[in-house]
Amino acid sequence: MSLRRYLPHYVMIAPFMILFAVFFLYPIVSGLYYSFHAWNGVKPPEYVGLANYQKILLSREFSTAMRNLLTYVAITVPLGILVALGLALLVDSFTGRWANFFRNAYFMPVVLPAFLAATIWRWIYAPNFGLLNMMLGWFGAPSVNFLNDTGTMLYALIAVDVWVSAGFNMVIILAGLKNIPVELYEAARLDGANKWQQIVHITIPMLGPVLFFVVTYGLISAMQVFDKPWLLTGSSFTSYGGRRNALLFPVMDMMGRAFGSVRFGEAAAYGFLLTVAIVVLTAVMFGLRRWRGWA
Amino acid sequence: MRTLSKLRFGVAGLAALLAVGAAGTAAAEDVTLEYWVYSDFAQGDALALQQEFIKEFTAKHPGVKINIVGKGDDDLTAGQVAGAASGNLPDVFMNAQSVGAQLVEVAALDNIYSKWMAMPEEFRAQFDQSALKSCMPKPDELYCLPYTGFGSLLFRNLTVLQKAGIDTSKPPATWGEWLAQMKKVKEAGMFAIPDETLVFNSIAEIYATSGGTDSWGFDWANHKTRIDPATMTKVLQKFVDMAPLNSGTSRNDQATKDLFISNQLAFHTVGPWVNPTYEEAAKTSGLKYDFVLIPGDESGKTGGIRSYEMVGVAPGPHADLAFEFAAYITEKAQMARWAKLLSRYNANAAAMAEPDVAALPLIKVSVDAAHGAMDVAAPYFVDSVPSCYNSTVIDMASATADGSKTPEQGAEEMISQLNDCLAK
Repeated sequence: MSLRRYLPHYVMIAPFMILFAVFFLYPIVSGLYYSFHAWNGVKPPEYVGLANYQKILLSREFSTAMRNLLTYVAITVPLGILVALGLALLVDSFTGRWANFFRNAYFMPVVLPAFLAATIWRWIYAPNFGLLNMMLGWFGAPSVNFLNDTGTMLYALIAVDVWVSAGFNMVIILAGLKNIPVELYEAARLDGANKWQQIVHITIPMLGPVLFFVVTYGLISAMQVFDKPWLLTGSSFTSYGGRRNALLFPVMDMMGRAFGSVRFGEAAAYGFLLTVAIVVLTAVMFGLRRWRGWA
Repeated sequence: MRTLSKLRFGVAGLAALLAVGAAGTAAAEDVTLEYWVYSDFAQGDALALQQEFIKEFTAKHPGVKINIVGKGDDDLTAGQVAGAASGNLPDVFMNAQSVGAQLVEVAALDNIYSKWMAMPEEFRAQFDQSALKSCMPKPDELYCLPYTGFGSLLFRNLTVLQKAGIDTSKPPATWGEWLAQMKKVKEAGMFAIPDETLVFNSIAEIYATSGGTDSWGFDWANHKTRIDPATMTKVLQKFVDMAPLNSGTSRNDQATKDLFISNQLAFHTVGPWVNPTYEEAAKTSGLKYDFVLIPGDESGKTGGIRSYEMVGVAPGPHADLAFEFAAYITEKAQMARWAKLLSRYNANAAAMAEPDVAALPLIKVSVDAAHGAMDVAAPYFVDSVPSCYNSTVIDMASATADGSKTPEQGAEEMISQLNDCLAK
């Protein structure tokens, strides 16, 4: 009876479930299986127990990649959201044509292909005569080798990332801003609240669910950072991570192990470690959401 | 009436059988070969010539269609490795010899030795023997036909050198002369050279000014590096000496080419592929430059690296036809046309010796450069180079040039870490 009643529902969700099973569940489960095997993609996999995990966790590249990742995530996610919030508030203060112009202008980096964005930024960062160094030169500052100086490389990447992600986050936050009832601001103004107090006591709390999405999505994306550091450092499967591995990140290391060294079992273990980390982080975020009552 | 009907039935059946047979023959003849090339070979004049080769080959092989696809370096490797795993490999493809071992490991490359040996001696004798040998990890194993190649060159910006008061009529003959010129350039307020510690190949190019193939690359039998500590110490000292003179950009950066074109950089050690850019700049912005051999420690010794792009054939039902096509495009007549179009050195020695090819200035210098250069990652096709290898070389060279280590410490730590890396 119940099956007959819900059959149309099952039929309707079946296409998604089939695609989800084929393209998500199966790769995850097979990835887990291969992570316990030495496998080059062609020869039959050979069971090696936890050796792949042990090899990764003990490798110098893994600790460098994780160190870089933690610093990157800790800076890029909050900074990206702060910038996006600032931009959203700015765009929200405009109406009509100007609002459209700024929204489109800030969103443009999102639709730019990664290789094009990286090429633009390599020009901006170029030592001696890159745009940024030319501007520094106007103030008498010496040329900075942003993409090859290990002290600046990570920050150079973060700037690019914030430039790209801010536009995407801005659009989402802007949609959230539009949903905040105007009456709340009017009441606050009558009570004598200034602009800053309105942002702190009305805007941010009312944006809670939107900010939760933006933070969670930002964390998940940041954990998987790959294309920007890969392109900014001119990496290839045999050499990646930039000068002294200052821009080495887990997904880059995983790709190198898979396609550079043809160690797919090890790469699968790497991927699985990263998946677990992302799942745990997401679970923590959802726990926080429940605790803060953002649901 | 009944007999007539039977006859009609019989004739119709025979006709149907003949039709099926004819269709079967046609199907057997209709073969499409997938041919993957570097993306720069799949555009403009290069693509036009490749298509001409395809047209010539298919004219002699009715029913054969060849589908040419251009891909970037990493896409070639990823596609071939993934293709081997999924059983969907391109039939003929290009790649670098340095990834040959990975491709052999995943069975993406057919051992073409028997097919090669079946070719006429006249064809086999056309190839540069050392280039061919680099495709043969064992006497009876041949995994590629060497294709275009390079020996690194020293591109000189003559305007910068003249501004620095350097006589450009004679290229530097030794490392000592070269370093003295670099210092003069820096004193004149310009950059001497890109940062040679940023890219594995540029480190190898400078290593070759002191060492050679016998003290570079891999001892796969013992899983150890062949780098000689004394030579590496000497080379790391060179990076220390060059540190205050360099532009901070790598040899591959667009910024390096821009500095060179805008007369702010004196030297650029790189392969001949940058020449079209510099040639264009000479026409449009008056860049004055030339290209010479990279000087070694002593007069007569040259630095730089050499390597070949390869044409490989995938195992499978079309392997024979694919090899035939690979042999056709690497044959003297095609390689000579290819060399003339691109001004690029290649592994067909007979084509390189053609008077109108040998007369091309870039090829003339490239031939000498390749003969004096060091193999960048030999021996090939034996074992996959772990990713930690190149990054260790770059890290240690950078750290020493930064002053974090002495050249002796840098060399010692580099070799120890490389051995650990290969042992893993």
